[in-house]
Amino acid sequence: MSDPKNQRPVPKANRFVETEAFWQGTKAGELMLQYCPDTNQFQHYPRPISIYTGKRNLQWRKVAGTGVVYACTIVRVPGPGMEGRLPLSVVTVEMDEGVRILGNILNREPDTVAIGQRVELAWDAIDDETVYPAFNVVEG
Amino acid sequence: MAKDSIVIAGYSETAVEFKSGRSAYDFAGEAFADLLAATGIEKSVVDGLSINVPLSECSNAFYAVYMTEALGLSPSWLNYGGIGGCSATGGVARAAAAIRDGQCEVAVVLSADAPSTNWSANYGAWRGEFQDPVGVLGPPAAFGLLMSRYEHQYGLNYEALAKIAIAQREGALLNDNAFAKLKKPLTVEDYMNSRMIADPLRLLDCVMFCDGGNAFLVTTQEKAKEFGIEKTVRPTAYAEVTNFKGADPVADITETGFSVLAPKVFGQSGLGASDIASFHPYDDFTIAVMMQLEDFGFCPKGQGSDYVMATDLTYRGQLPVNTGGGQLSAGQPGLASGGLNLAEAVRQMFGEAGARQVAKTQNALVTGIGVIPYARNWGTSAAMILEA
Repeated sequence: MSDPKNQRPVPKANRFVETEAFWQGTKAGELMLQYCPDTNQFQHYPRPISIYTGKRNLQWRKVAGTGVVYACTIVRVPGPGMEGRLPLSVVTVEMDEGVRILGNILNREPDTVAIGQRVELAWDAIDDETVYPAFNVVEG
Repeated sequence: MAKDSIVIAGYSETAVEFKSGRSAYDFAGEAFADLLAATGIEKSVVDGLSINVPLSECSNAFYAVYMTEALGLSPSWLNYGGIGGCSATGGVARAAAAIRDGQCEVAVVLSADAPSTNWSANYGAWRGEFQDPVGVLGPPAAFGLLMSRYEHQYGLNYEALAKIAIAQREGALLNDNAFAKLKKPLTVEDYMNSRMIADPLRLLDCVMFCDGGNAFLVTTQEKAKEFGIEKTVRPTAYAEVTNFKGADPVADITETGFSVLAPKVFGQSGLGASDIASFHPYDDFTIAVMMQLEDFGFCPKGQGSDYVMATDLTYRGQLPVNTGGGQLSAGQPGLASGGLNLAEAVRQMFGEAGARQVAKTQNALVTGIGVIPYARNWGTSAAMILEA
């Protein structure tokens, strides 16, 4: 934390819609995603309405954190918040609950990550107080 | 469409708050949900949307109005294109509708941008919380993900992508407007050796953000004749879709909006893929060109690599593609980007392409792509057929 150049920007909560439950969840080690109880479907990223019904009847529910790599890339170009993280494994994970989320793979060299691998929730430290959901490839 | 058949069939309005801590998206969501409740309609029947430019999301909400002042114009119709690379073709289509509706007679569809000189954009929205922390900062990472999935489902021959880049570069060498630094011949080795940006996306798969502008005059055939203008082309088909499969959280991201636009524009014009004289697909990345070759039926889905390897895509070839170099080899003039592909199509049909003039000019197919969304295919797809 000594070199300010190497500090990742800490996301500002609730800039877009009310996301307090997501951030409270990270503190408790739980991945909370937005849920439409009228259709029993998750949606991510969070929205101001249910993308399924157009209603504002939305909840936040915990997901298991398990899923499959749906798409994967290795980001090799620098950018804000990328200092010291390159090459960075970036994946789209299809969660077992039927919703997709972007994430980083923490436990593997980026070039060993592949579509179809099972993953589970992991936590990436952005700073001393903030963790962000990420994934580990399930070995074996 | 008789004007008296159009009605306002419902309304909603939120309470006005001060320092609410809420975003324009949230107020819009509330107004939208209330409108659905007030009218009793299902969300799924909505197939049109008009949006304001909010101060809380945009650095200059009055750019379009300032432009009328900069140009000294007093237009009776003004359109602010917010669909990225679809804004030029979309602008022509909207201008045509406005002319048909009597709102104006002589419209200019103008696009200009200079992001390599001055970057004022802040995409805001969810990105700070849900996209930037993961390192998906721009289109290359999103297209790396898209390419990986395409390759997984269909296989991908990188030499075919190289061939797209090389064929377009040939046109750029003959294009006086192409960015000078890009005007060097390309080889397959150059492509293969270009550095990885977001695997499997290489540098030579990508456009370079540049500055530039383009303009199109849209009016009636009668008016054009009155002005003594002899060269015109007719937009005989246009279709557009934004947020394709937007309410399907596990949609196949290799399926693009063009898969639904292709039958629409071919149906409207009565043409088929084999009738297309030249193709000017929006080309932010080589894979987008390949996917559009498939979506418009030049080859079956998933067989883009084989088709490209077997087809001459240069201005001399069976299917001339982005004959001025496209954005890949002429440079991407920011969000004036779609106008670059459109300008080349019109130039070719006017017979003004000089050393890269195509033989067949009876029609052209032009497309646009706008915006890269979260973990999906691209945002807006637009397609227009021009006929002589």
